[in-house]
Amino acid sequence: MDLSMSVELVNLGKKYNHKGLFQGINAVIKAGQCLGITGSNGSGKTTLLKLIAGIEQPSEGYVYMKGNRGDLRREERVGSIGMVSPQIAFYDAMTGIENIMFFCSCSLRRCSIKDAQEGCMRVGLDGYSDDLVSTYSTGMKQRLKLAIMLVFQPTLWLLDEPSSNLDAVGKKIVGNSIKSALQDGATVIVATNECWELGYASEHIILGECSVDSI
Amino acid sequence: MPVNILSLANAVWILFKKDLLCEFRTGYAIGTLLMFALLILSSISMTFSGISLSAELTANLLWMIIFFCSMAGLGRAFLEEQETGTLFTLSIYFRPQAIVLGKMLYNIALLIGLTCLIVPLFMIFLHVDFQLWRELFAVLLLGDIGIGAVSTLMAAMLGGAQGKHSLFTVLTLPIILPQFLSAIHATMTILSGNVPTIQEIAYMLGYDSIMILAGYMLYSFICCE
Amino acid sequence: MMRRVLFLWLAAVMGAIVFIIPPAEGLGNVVKIAFFHIPLAWVSVLGFLLSAYWGIQYLRTGEMYYDLKSSTAAKLGLFFCIFATLSGMVFAKLTWGAYWNWDPRQITIFILLLIYGSYITLRSAIPNIITRARTSAVYGLFAFFTVPFLMFIIPRFYFSLHPEPIINRLGRLDMDSIMAYGLLLTLVTSTALFRQILCYLLKKEYRKYPANMADRIGKDGMKL
Repeated sequence: MDLSMSVELVNLGKKYNHKGLFQGINAVIKAGQCLGITGSNGSGKTTLLKLIAGIEQPSEGYVYMKGNRGDLRREERVGSIGMVSPQIAFYDAMTGIENIMFFCSCSLRRCSIKDAQEGCMRVGLDGYSDDLVSTYSTGMKQRLKLAIMLVFQPTLWLLDEPSSNLDAVGKKIVGNSIKSALQDGATVIVATNECWELGYASEHIILGECSVDSI
Repeated sequence: MPVNILSLANAVWILFKKDLLCEFRTGYAIGTLLMFALLILSSISMTFSGISLSAELTANLLWMIIFFCSMAGLGRAFLEEQETGTLFTLSIYFRPQAIVLGKMLYNIALLIGLTCLIVPLFMIFLHVDFQLWRELFAVLLLGDIGIGAVSTLMAAMLGGAQGKHSLFTVLTLPIILPQFLSAIHATMTILSGNVPTIQEIAYMLGYDSIMILAGYMLYSFICCE
Repeated sequence: MMRRVLFLWLAAVMGAIVFIIPPAEGLGNVVKIAFFHIPLAWVSVLGFLLSAYWGIQYLRTGEMYYDLKSSTAAKLGLFFCIFATLSGMVFAKLTWGAYWNWDPRQITIFILLLIYGSYITLRSAIPNIITRARTSAVYGLFAFFTVPFLMFIIPRFYFSLHPEPIINRLGRLDMDSIMAYGLLLTLVTSTALFRQILCYLLKKEYRKYPANMADRIGKDGMKL
């Protein structure tokens, strides 16, 4: 089982129609490390995460991923990446547990009902896990996104504003999840403007005004 | 290859089961398709009541009903996922090929189920008698696979477009037409009491294979910007 | 200079069709419509093939230049396809008494019209340039895959009023040699005309694209 992954961004850039969003992004994040991405609204934080996830193609540059057994091509990255993002949506016709089990079934590591229930408990959804997602509030859906990450345990965590719509308890769960993921050797990339979330990161990328600072 | 990647067949099956479960719970597509089929069948039956229909007209009517029902209901599989945002989530956790094949399988199953309901009703409403059942099943199956596969792919392509639902029929018809015409001709042959030639069946099979293969290879260009 | 030569050449060919080509047995002077219809049909298919080819090139390389060529070839192909359909309808009326009767060749040209129309409708519905390029290239490819099925299956299933293809199944030429040479000349002329108009349109259209493609387009309008 691939338990570690390093991510390398080489000269990454993205343009939409006429507008350039960002360019010249370079970074290396090893297993057990956290990269923080921050910037003003519209600077491309979510887009950068999508480029790393492989959902969008960069206009220039490359994203390299290396697992235990060597370089991972795009089609091999599925099953190793998990994402929390405002754009993540669930199936309203399925319950919370069913959604967790469905999305976690993409890897060979089988997810049992017990694992899914435990995941719901860790994020505080244990009373609602058998309800349809259509009845969930925005905060509950955010917690469900975290539950999937905790059950799935991907080697690469992509977090886009993970504590949005969450109360103080929820934010604590986010912090603990990031900490335990890093301790387990996962690679974490967080895109946020919250200082406390960026505090977990050893490297930072600041986007905005088409310039990049890598500290 | 990392150990934790699910095989394509397993992923397709999981996606197919998920679509069936959601459809079973909501019943949107099945309800729409059923009512649409019933509406068209009853209209045609009322119009043609008492008039005996030639083999050509009967074959054309049957496939027109199947086609219009497909246009009413099959686009939903992809279009709804694009609108609710669940396609984004799927793209992260599943391979593009698994997503498109899973959707194709679901749409084809839906269409085959619908055809199984339409054909008996068609026979009852329009007083049609099919003799060559084995050949009819083969033609219906191949035609449904073609329409289901192409509908799925066209719906997949409309992710970035405006006016998706109306554009769906416009895009699908030209691509589906060869299979549609072959299916009508083969059904007409069956209704005349003859067995369709091996050539005709081979052409329909060839069309289905090429469309499914093309979809498998080209979907990753459509889904990823 | 090239344009003047082409214009004179076109005028000469049209003159030759009207005055030099003899009337055919049976069909009479009506056969001269075929000297317009066939090149137009050929060029509309050529536009379609080029559009699919450049679509593949775009998917392979990601260069917007190929998307520009692909969409321009499709638009031009549609334009010629409409005229091919109209000339065919006139020929059908004069020869068989009806403008349209769903003869297999009419079905195939109608489907080509549908494909072109859907392609252009699809392009106009997608605002994002890159999504539009990818989606239309893939759609063009799907349309291309249906072509063998259309061309070979439909005419064999349905009785056709259309004259047999000029080089018929036995591989022999069923035409007077002067007519055959005349037809060949019109095919070459129409291809040259197509290329010239394509170059002109490329020079006009490239400004709609954000990337500066002036150096690729060149003085001619197209660098192949």
